[in-house]
Amino acid sequence: MTSNMQNGTADAAAEASNIPALVGINFGNSFASIAVFTKDGLAECIANEDGERQIACALSFFGEEMYIGSPAKAQLVKNAKNTIVGFRNLLGKKFSDIPQSQSTTSAPVIQHPELSDEPAYKVEILQPAPAPLPKSTSGTPAASSAPTPRSEPIPAERILTVSEVTTIFLKSLLQSAEDFLGKKVQGAVITVPSIFTDAQKDALEKAAADAGIVVYQLLEEPAAVAATTTTEAWSPTLAVDRTQLVVDVGSSSLSLSLLALRDGLAHILASSSSAGIGGDAIDSKLTTFFANEFTKKTKTPLTVCSEKPSIADARAEAKLRLAVEHTKRTISASPGAATCSVESLKDGVDFTSSINRLRFDMLVRPIYDSIARSVADLLDSAKVDPHHVDEIVYVGGTTCLPGLDEHLCLTAGFNEDINTPFSMGTVIGGGIGDPTTVLARGCALQAALIASLTEQDAELKKAFERNSELTEVKTTSKILGLVFPDESGNELGGTWIPLVPAETVLPARRTATFDIGLSEQSKRFAFELWEVSEGIE
Amino acid sequence: MASIQTNILPKSYTLPGPSKASISGPSTRRLLPVGPAFVSHLRLTLQHGHSFDVHDAHAEKERQKLEEQQNSAANGDDDLGVGDEPESAELLALDPKEWKKHDYYAVLGLSHLRYKATPEQIKIAHRKKVLKHHPDKKVTSAEPQSTSSLLTGINLNTNDDAFFKCIAKAHEVLTHPEKRRQYDSVDHELMEHQEDDPSPTDFAKSKKTLSDKEFFSTFTPIFEREARFSKKQVMPMLGDIDASKEHVEGFYDSWYNFESWRSFEWLDKEVNEGSDNRDDKRYTEKKNKSERARRKKEDIARVRQFVDLTLSLDPRIKRIKQQEKEAREAKKAAKSAPASGAATPQMTKAQEEEEKRKKEEAEKAAKADAKKAKAAAANAAKKARRAARAEEAPAA
Repeated sequence: MTSNMQNGTADAAAEASNIPALVGINFGNSFASIAVFTKDGLAECIANEDGERQIACALSFFGEEMYIGSPAKAQLVKNAKNTIVGFRNLLGKKFSDIPQSQSTTSAPVIQHPELSDEPAYKVEILQPAPAPLPKSTSGTPAASSAPTPRSEPIPAERILTVSEVTTIFLKSLLQSAEDFLGKKVQGAVITVPSIFTDAQKDALEKAAADAGIVVYQLLEEPAAVAATTTTEAWSPTLAVDRTQLVVDVGSSSLSLSLLALRDGLAHILASSSSAGIGGDAIDSKLTTFFANEFTKKTKTPLTVCSEKPSIADARAEAKLRLAVEHTKRTISASPGAATCSVESLKDGVDFTSSINRLRFDMLVRPIYDSIARSVADLLDSAKVDPHHVDEIVYVGGTTCLPGLDEHLCLTAGFNEDINTPFSMGTVIGGGIGDPTTVLARGCALQAALIASLTEQDAELKKAFERNSELTEVKTTSKILGLVFPDESGNELGGTWIPLVPAETVLPARRTATFDIGLSEQSKRFAFELWEVSEGIE
Repeated sequence: MASIQTNILPKSYTLPGPSKASISGPSTRRLLPVGPAFVSHLRLTLQHGHSFDVHDAHAEKERQKLEEQQNSAANGDDDLGVGDEPESAELLALDPKEWKKHDYYAVLGLSHLRYKATPEQIKIAHRKKVLKHHPDKKVTSAEPQSTSSLLTGINLNTNDDAFFKCIAKAHEVLTHPEKRRQYDSVDHELMEHQEDDPSPTDFAKSKKTLSDKEFFSTFTPIFEREARFSKKQVMPMLGDIDASKEHVEGFYDSWYNFESWRSFEWLDKEVNEGSDNRDDKRYTEKKNKSERARRKKEDIARVRQFVDLTLSLDPRIKRIKQQEKEAREAKKAAKSAPASGAATPQMTKAQEEEEKRKKEEAEKAAKADAKKAKAAAANAAKKARRAARAEEAPAA
């Protein structure tokens, strides 16, 4: 801030001051993103100081330095034991609740030495050595004015609780947003996964408060999606009443929600969550593929994804995993082949290879299949026919893969003309349907909405609190519509015009305009109000 | 919303009997607390008692409020009464090359203010016009003028920025104090009005006379107009029929001593362009200088003539003369009468003076006494000090 003022950019700040400084934070387990509210009805995902819009949730300590984001992730290769990843899901959990089975190369979760049943991380750091001359209490000046050189920093151990790690990370996100906006952030909305318990939400709220963030609301991921998809900008052509399937493929888990959007109001019809399906699984497939390729090309043995890897193998795998991240992004963005290159992958041998879309899709087909199966299961359990789903919304970097969209549309039994961000062409070039920024943008819009409520609307603000009773509503259970009797000779004896779909939140209002056909002889018309349940035979 | 076409009702259609089925009961769901629609829903259920009419009225009110806010934000807080003037086609078709002949106030939409426009108002008016007429905005809106298929897609309105240039010129002149003074001196509107001014010949030839009302309605605006050129600001105005003698005299006094800042540089002839001839230049300059002097002289004469004319026609002068005459006659009449009652007031005056003198004398005396007493006290103190010193000396 101060450096900005010195450089004389006061003008820009004054101009920006009309727009309230509100941010939306998508806080995932592996990646986070920040969006700021720019103009009325528009939110924009911003890049942090490293130029990353997808900020890796990683924290690494090396010597006296602390790295956050992608530089921290790069430390997984050489400094894995001092690198903390995947901490979000541990928020608010007790140490005894955390399964200890999975072996990780990153900093292991340990029992906090002082607090009981508290998960923590232990990292090795270098502490700056204490000042060589202890300050005398009498105020006697030091013997010499020449600075005494400090001694070498002392190696030390630092114990960080999950909550502290989260606070450090959120603080860095806040800092990025404030650097972008050029002023203090007024308030924020943060996403939470639907699987979070109340205790976990409390822990997140506390960590955010410690980081200095004013949290307006913790928004569940499907709700953050709905905040984006119910805007005018999202769907100028789509119907206001539609059923929307949200496919959120994270790095380690898949969560699906079926939303009923009724004139801007959204509620969940069904949701499911399955662990183990996601970006990490794709990474494993790719890593194995490239490792085999490497072995074939260079005759250097490399085994990855094994239980007990050698140090050289583990390091090579970490390098390869960082590299395939880039390969995945290239595959998503361009139809051509994507390269994967790692310098000195193992034993000082470089590796370069490429993979095309077809090969890639074949490789990760099992993961596509399991996603499609989960979708089918969800629709089954909700008793919703795939044909009644009007729109699919994708969330998460993995869903940028066009192959996944194709596979899902073909195999899950949806209508051919189902709307997806790909069919609407809003994925490319950071469009409005960009799966990586949807959540953060929804949060920023929501923050703007809450900030716009005045003091008079105190009772409305209560509805945004967790588990507010005001969110409980009555909905219609069947479709209401009109029958205009005519000689078409079908079952109902007329033309059926559905007006109010099932699951519409009450009170509801729908408007329809009719051109009434009148015969010359009898100038009369009639219609009947019907309630029907629709199904496909 | 597109309307739905319905078919004709069949002739055989009969109304069905009342339905025995009842509408199926609602199910309970939990809304996701997101989006403006959720806030609307809350308002509808909590504040508006489930009535869509109340809700719509509220929404309309909010919309209007927002619109007003946006309007006020768009126009700035206050445009200082600049307003929006309609722009005639002629105005928009001005040729920037003929800039000397333009009416700059009209170009900036300030015709209603003219020389009274403040620098702030000029600034605001200029900004408004620039926003409206910037060439960047025109390119997209203008249609190609040629119907030739060969030229479609090529922007033929190359003269698009003509009016913008005029605006820039007007702004340049009106924001430069010296240039503005020169321009105001020969303001279009002023020149037009001056041609309509009554001249002495009008009255001399036709022996035309004016009623009191006509006199004031004709001459008041002219003096108001001319007052702008006065070096001495706040010139007295013509006033009305009942104006006092002092006012009328002051008025003519001021206007006969009228000093004008009006100058005529604006009407100078340009030195021939491209002419490097020094003599040519000097000749034109000389000509211009003499022309300016001539115009100035003419202008001074014009004002003077005009004041003469006013004086000759002013109905109040007659009235004042009449009053003076009456006063003189009254005085004469008073003089001739015996001065008997004048003694008493003189007596009292003499008495007053005597009293005053006495008072002053008394005060003087009192002051002198006080002085003496002070001097005595000081003397005593001095003596005491001297004695004390004398005592101390042997001890030392």
